[in-house]
Amino acid sequence: MRNAEQQGRVPSQEPASHLDDRALCSAFRVPRFAFGGGGAVRERVLVAMSGGVDSSVAAALLVEAGYDVVGATMKLFCYGDAVPDRPCCSLDSITDARLVAHKLGIPHYVLNFEDRFGRDVIANFVAEYARGRTPIPCVRCNSFTKFRDFLYHADALDCAYIATGHYAIARDGALFRGRDPRKDQSYFLWGIDRTVVARMLTPVGALSKRETRDVARRLGLVTADKVESVEICFVPDDDYVGVLERHLPADAPALTPGPLVTAGGAVVGEHAGFARYTIGQRRGLPGGFREPMYVVAIRPETREVVIGSGDELFGHTVTLGEVNWLAEPRAPGDGVLMQCRYRAPAVPGRVREVTGGTIAVDLAQPVRAITPGQSGALYDPDGRLLGGGVIT
Amino acid sequence: MPKRLVYLDNAATTPVRPEVLEAMLPYLGPDAFGNPSSPHRFGRAARAGVEEAKRSIAAALGVDPGQVIFTSGGTEADNLAVIGCALAARERGGPFRIAVSAIEHKAVLAAAHAVAHLGGEEIILPVNGLGEVSEDALGEALARGVAVVSVMWVNNEIGVVQPVGRLAARCREAGVPFHVDGVQAFGKIPASLHDVACTLFTISGHKIGAPKGIGALVVRDRHAVEAILHGGGQQFGIRPGTENVPGIVGLGAAVELAAREQAAFAARAAALRDELERRLLAVVPDAVINGAHGRRAPHVTSVSIPGTDSEALLMHLDLAGIACSSGSACSTGAVEPSHVLTAMGVPRELGVAALRFSFGKQNTAEDVEAVVGALPKIVEKVRALAAVLHR
Repeated sequence: MRNAEQQGRVPSQEPASHLDDRALCSAFRVPRFAFGGGGAVRERVLVAMSGGVDSSVAAALLVEAGYDVVGATMKLFCYGDAVPDRPCCSLDSITDARLVAHKLGIPHYVLNFEDRFGRDVIANFVAEYARGRTPIPCVRCNSFTKFRDFLYHADALDCAYIATGHYAIARDGALFRGRDPRKDQSYFLWGIDRTVVARMLTPVGALSKRETRDVARRLGLVTADKVESVEICFVPDDDYVGVLERHLPADAPALTPGPLVTAGGAVVGEHAGFARYTIGQRRGLPGGFREPMYVVAIRPETREVVIGSGDELFGHTVTLGEVNWLAEPRAPGDGVLMQCRYRAPAVPGRVREVTGGTIAVDLAQPVRAITPGQSGALYDPDGRLLGGGVIT
Repeated sequence: MPKRLVYLDNAATTPVRPEVLEAMLPYLGPDAFGNPSSPHRFGRAARAGVEEAKRSIAAALGVDPGQVIFTSGGTEADNLAVIGCALAARERGGPFRIAVSAIEHKAVLAAAHAVAHLGGEEIILPVNGLGEVSEDALGEALARGVAVVSVMWVNNEIGVVQPVGRLAARCREAGVPFHVDGVQAFGKIPASLHDVACTLFTISGHKIGAPKGIGALVVRDRHAVEAILHGGGQQFGIRPGTENVPGIVGLGAAVELAAREQAAFAARAAALRDELERRLLAVVPDAVINGAHGRRAPHVTSVSIPGTDSEALLMHLDLAGIACSSGSACSTGAVEPSHVLTAMGVPRELGVAALRFSFGKQNTAEDVEAVVGALPKIVEKVRALAAVLHR
């Protein structure tokens, strides 16, 4: 089974076997007991409970391990009137989180981050599309919301740790890929502050999704069989253009027609707004070419969407901006493994250039659809997340 | 788990009193479970319970038993009063327009919106900085002509007491039905309707030690309201549906107890509230008591703590074993101050930093002690947090 799940992955990026064994035992350290005030005081941890099965199990495992667990659901946005058939403010998921917390005998709170999430994540999401890029809001949510704003609350509550249901493994101040390669979410975590890693607990990082569900069923948690959400939380029905239309003026260049061109400069048609396209996209392009055509570039300054053959999609060099390190920064000449898309294989590469906040990496093999706005996550051969940046 | 739990959220709800539970039990069991509309012995037993409760409530309020209409709670009673009066007025060719104060409970405000939605018109009567309803605005509304005026006796967030006797007299003079939401007044202040010429009056069970899901609307003029639920004709057709007999019996018992104990409770609650306010201001000197200088009911205090936000305060207080509530609400987009504090002109930053403590019969001086003991440290932490989050 596992082999099938891992097809297409570079062997060297697998966690080394000793890590696997330790991970199987526990992806998080057992709590320390401080003494004072008439007895043992358990270490407190604030768990981000989304109302899904992963974070439910994370909370459950921490309770079993003996932590003083406080659960909290971050309220990040409000569907409001835009989506009348959806429960406003995802009340269903808050209810699920609350039920799980009640079952586990832990307190549960709702933290309202709407203002800050709107500013740090949604506004950036819109701005990135407006300049022709394809952003990953989950990365910024982790960097700014889950592992920064949430930590402020943890500090105020005297929590030694914060925990989430991420499939990644935090150990000794370092972050590693989650054990289940199909679920590994470390790709989205490159942007968090390095000092935060030492305070992260990742209870499900060493589990497979199946094992996570098994724990949930064993404990009778209501979220055990909940269907996984795959869409961006604030984008209803996967209609990201709808979100852009609500946030951008009607005449925004990103949403208004522009020329569809080939790499050679020939105008072959018109598109309905470059924000509707992403690199590697085939859908919605005109036919009549000898071979399948894909979006190979977006030029916001001229509103051009460039299309080309599949070959034109491959690139050998990736440049990252907004670089963040979770390990000692790498220098020119150093070898790294670079992952340019969620669930894509990491490819070996060598650092060519490092300047303030950017890094250029030459890849040992070409990578398809290197997309500005997506993330480049850097790993070492043990599956340790070294850092990353936004593809420019 | 904190060592000691303090419940200071009695304006939200109260535990069922043992005497009330005792009174209800026969109506859940084999002898008196019947449908009060049935002519057989089971029905008669249930009917007896309903009628007895009606009598107790009527006596406590100073109205006739036939004027007590049971509902599923305060919200339904408020809806029946506001929407029912508007519909009745439209039916007889009167104004399809209602007037409500800006600090009404959402049950009244949302019902007023519903009337507007149905093609009617809502007039919102403003309040001053103490939360007192503008009587000039009331006069204008009456001059224009309205189907009903609705003003709450005691506000649930800040405890301000409205001069409902005077307002009722003005409405009566104008020939306009007057509804009083008495949910937070009954049992807390002397609330007999002998001196209040209102047409309609709402009470709720779970605020006074009866279970959730039962309330009543006193209807002194059956022509003033039209039913908003339709069914088998029970309760004169004003509120059809098989009566919630155990709930009604519980409400009767709770009303009787609350009326009997009102004066003693008010004295105790006022002493505890004053002590809490005095000591709280001593440990958090820049705290602001909202509406402090107005006429207030004894059991509620609303405190704004500058530089904090109530969500975080509530969370920290809960972890310390203290239950109270906030003066803010989730509205689209973000946490906003409650409509009550906003209507009073409380600045936004104080509105989002408001806590409501509300006392019940079980509270003691030790509860006040616990709050005052826990609060300084919590305020310090939440202020530090807010400073970071609002940077």
